Amino acid sequence: MGENIFVGIATWLRGLLSGAGVPDMWNDTILLVVKLVAILLFILVNALWLVYMERRVCAFMQSRLGPIHVGPKGLFQTAADIGKLLGKEIILPKGADLLVFLLMPVVIFIPPLLIFGVLPFGKNMVAIDMNIGVFYLLAIASLSTIIFWAAGWASNNKYSLVGGMRSVAQMVSYELPLILALLGVIMITGTLNLNTIVDSQKSIWFVFTQPIAFLVYLIAGMAETNRTPFCLVEGESEIIAGPYTEYSGMGFAMFFLAEYANVMIISAMCTVMFLGGWLAPFGLDFIPSWLWFFLKMYLMIFVFMWVRWTYPRIRVDQLMGFGWKVLVPLALANIFVTGVGMYIFRAIGWWS
Amino acid sequence: MKTETYTLNLGPQHPSTHGVFRIILELDGETVVKATPVPGYLHRGIEKLAEARTYTQVIPYTDRMDYMAAMLMNWGYVAAVEKLMDIEVPERAEYVRVIVGELSRIASHMIATGAYGGDIGALTAFTYTFRDREYVLDLLEMVSGSRMTFSYFRIGGVAADLPEEFFPAVRKFLGELPAMCDEYDGLITGNEIFQARTKQVGIITPEMGINYSLSGPTLRGSGVNYDLRKVRPYGIYDRFDFDVPLGQNGDCFDRFRIRIDEMRQCKRIIEQALDQIPEGPIMAKVPKVIKPPVGDAYAEVESSKGVYGCYVVSDGSPKPYRVHFRRPSYINLGYLGKLCEGWKIADVIAILGSIDIVLGEVDC
Amino acid sequence: MFGQGLIKGLQITWGRMFDKKQTVKYPFEKIEMFPRYHGRFELDVDKCIACGLCANACPNKVIQLEKEKVDKKQFLTKYIMRIEYCLFCGLCVEACNKDALKFSNIIDMNQYRRSWVRLTLVDRPAPEPTETPEEETPAKEAKSEAAAGQAPGKEG
Repeated sequence: MGENIFVGIATWLRGLLSGAGVPDMWNDTILLVVKLVAILLFILVNALWLVYMERRVCAFMQSRLGPIHVGPKGLFQTAADIGKLLGKEIILPKGADLLVFLLMPVVIFIPPLLIFGVLPFGKNMVAIDMNIGVFYLLAIASLSTIIFWAAGWASNNKYSLVGGMRSVAQMVSYELPLILALLGVIMITGTLNLNTIVDSQKSIWFVFTQPIAFLVYLIAGMAETNRTPFCLVEGESEIIAGPYTEYSGMGFAMFFLAEYANVMIISAMCTVMFLGGWLAPFGLDFIPSWLWFFLKMYLMIFVFMWVRWTYPRIRVDQLMGFGWKVLVPLALANIFVTGVGMYIFRAIGWWS
Repeated sequence: MKTETYTLNLGPQHPSTHGVFRIILELDGETVVKATPVPGYLHRGIEKLAEARTYTQVIPYTDRMDYMAAMLMNWGYVAAVEKLMDIEVPERAEYVRVIVGELSRIASHMIATGAYGGDIGALTAFTYTFRDREYVLDLLEMVSGSRMTFSYFRIGGVAADLPEEFFPAVRKFLGELPAMCDEYDGLITGNEIFQARTKQVGIITPEMGINYSLSGPTLRGSGVNYDLRKVRPYGIYDRFDFDVPLGQNGDCFDRFRIRIDEMRQCKRIIEQALDQIPEGPIMAKVPKVIKPPVGDAYAEVESSKGVYGCYVVSDGSPKPYRVHFRRPSYINLGYLGKLCEGWKIADVIAILGSIDIVLGEVDC
Repeated sequence: MFGQGLIKGLQITWGRMFDKKQTVKYPFEKIEMFPRYHGRFELDVDKCIACGLCANACPNKVIQLEKEKVDKKQFLTKYIMRIEYCLFCGLCVEACNKDALKFSNIIDMNQYRRSWVRLTLVDRPAPEPTETPEEETPAKEAKSEAAAGQAPGKEG
């Protein structure tokens, strides 16, 4: 029954508007804006929730309890933290490039917002159905590098600069295996449209047909989001917090929340590309499709957290070496095997 | 391509310098060209303060040096004064000293292990070791009343006898210790990323280790079998059967691994001490006002960081004329500058962590 | 090698997730301190003979005591511990011959102001000297009970 709750709201809104005599073009625009605002709200609330979840998961893994006092089970802890951070002074470092310094925490949320516009959250639940979805997504996702780097540069702090440089180097080396890993999926489906990719996993999820690609994607995704074991950009025990060193108050909080937005994107992408998106496994159709999507996404986020609170951090030259010497060849080999496999399957007629 | 170097000021306010330690790094990109350690931010002048205190009153100050293993710091000073006054410490007091000293060593090594995990980036290891250290601190609190700065040793013995509930508690803890060590091994030592970060990094050759007068796990990581408890047994250490874990390569990984192995050996020593401990007094016959004869004495103990020595000069008055401490952390740091050259920033943290310094001790 | 250690690590953290948690919700639950715990100082005024051994034993000169001679006996009028300088080493407690100065199990000595931290254990005027000390005794006791005070600051 919950299946069509969001689609239903959209249809109802459309009907309401056309009933009020709004022209079709305006009708579409209003609906799009409503959808995007809903997504924006969703991202922000989710980022707050993920900070809380991270702290709880981390605490549980460390035999602690984590936040428990603010609200039921400490649920409002992040909200309280944000409230506190809002009240803090934003310290402007001496000699900083003020325009860039202040602009970067604001624009850091733009790439996640742009990406969530095209993600299919459920059956017929996509704000903008784009037929080059994957391409668009990958292009936008790497934008945040520039923001990190600019933030590091503008801070006029050597730690920040080192962090920013690391961010660029890391993104350059790990964007490649990430895209190459996704290529296998794209070769099989033959489309860049995310909805179609989800649809083509009806018989079998790509995590089973493309396990190597999945693994490469997972590792490269961790590097994309700057999380342990690839949290070199932050590297809190080496370069303190990298690009965020000089940020205080809400400026820092924005970066912090954006990190979780990025984690959501990588997990959502993983869900769409490898875990069957909003498709229900084992024919469990009574659970709405969007719920399935979120369940899978949160599973992936949990894996990210689990790994983060278990592993140490890798060194910068090892990171590069691992990316170029292991992941890229592995991803290329995967593409080759996929291509050969497709030809063989076509030849014997198992696959049209 | 010729590039310009730049200077990065690592510390004194830095999360991984284990306190207020400063290293001025000259960097070429991320590679260290030159490293200059700058200690002294936590200098409190304990040696000078000691000159204005009576002999007993110095004991609380020795706690404040290596506050991670304060019992062992007490021991070195007390041993020097006892040597000066020619006091025979009662048998039971010696055993009590061994038991609390080794417990203190376990606590210190737990911190070293966890903090090193934290330096490398595995923060969960940090909380695990701190969680387990609390059990040791509980035991020591039971004995001395404090959790970190015990001031438990007295000239001629210890402040109080071990309480009755201490014995079952310590046996219970020792029973759990191997599982704890296995957990650290599983979480940190066995981790491939950790090994990649620490193996073949910051190698100290045995010759250089000896030349730079290193001691403790830092030296034994290079394979030099030098443990004061074995080579020059003080107190009653000659009665215990234990091994000295040694490393092969002298890299960060060996220095780290040795500490976990040493915890297991500490367990053996404590168990033997618990079995052998006799009844009897815990204080020797010491005059109320301690006035050692004119002269000087030097005593060494193997602290958790290395050879901790204490030199006391007496002019016959109730206050020491001069006290000097040979702090192993400080001396082990002497090689740091050379050791860091040619490695990355992240390795500087790894090397510094593997030496396991406590800033209270470095700056004294 | 090749990921075994990585998987082992994941197993350990996974196991710990469902383990018993170590956290004590401090202000709501409190741990019983050991009998020897070095907490807030307590002075049994009746036992104290104002000898000053504790003040001498202290390495940091934390203890300041004032006394007056009343009827050939030392009468303790003021006993202040500058806790902000205290090392909690326990040498003063050990020095006390009469078992008057003791550690209690109270751990919360924190205050909002540095000056409030100072611990005034005794602050009372000396009684009037009388010819018959027997009459004086009950009044002195009542006073001393009232004066066996706590820190001047707020509790907790």
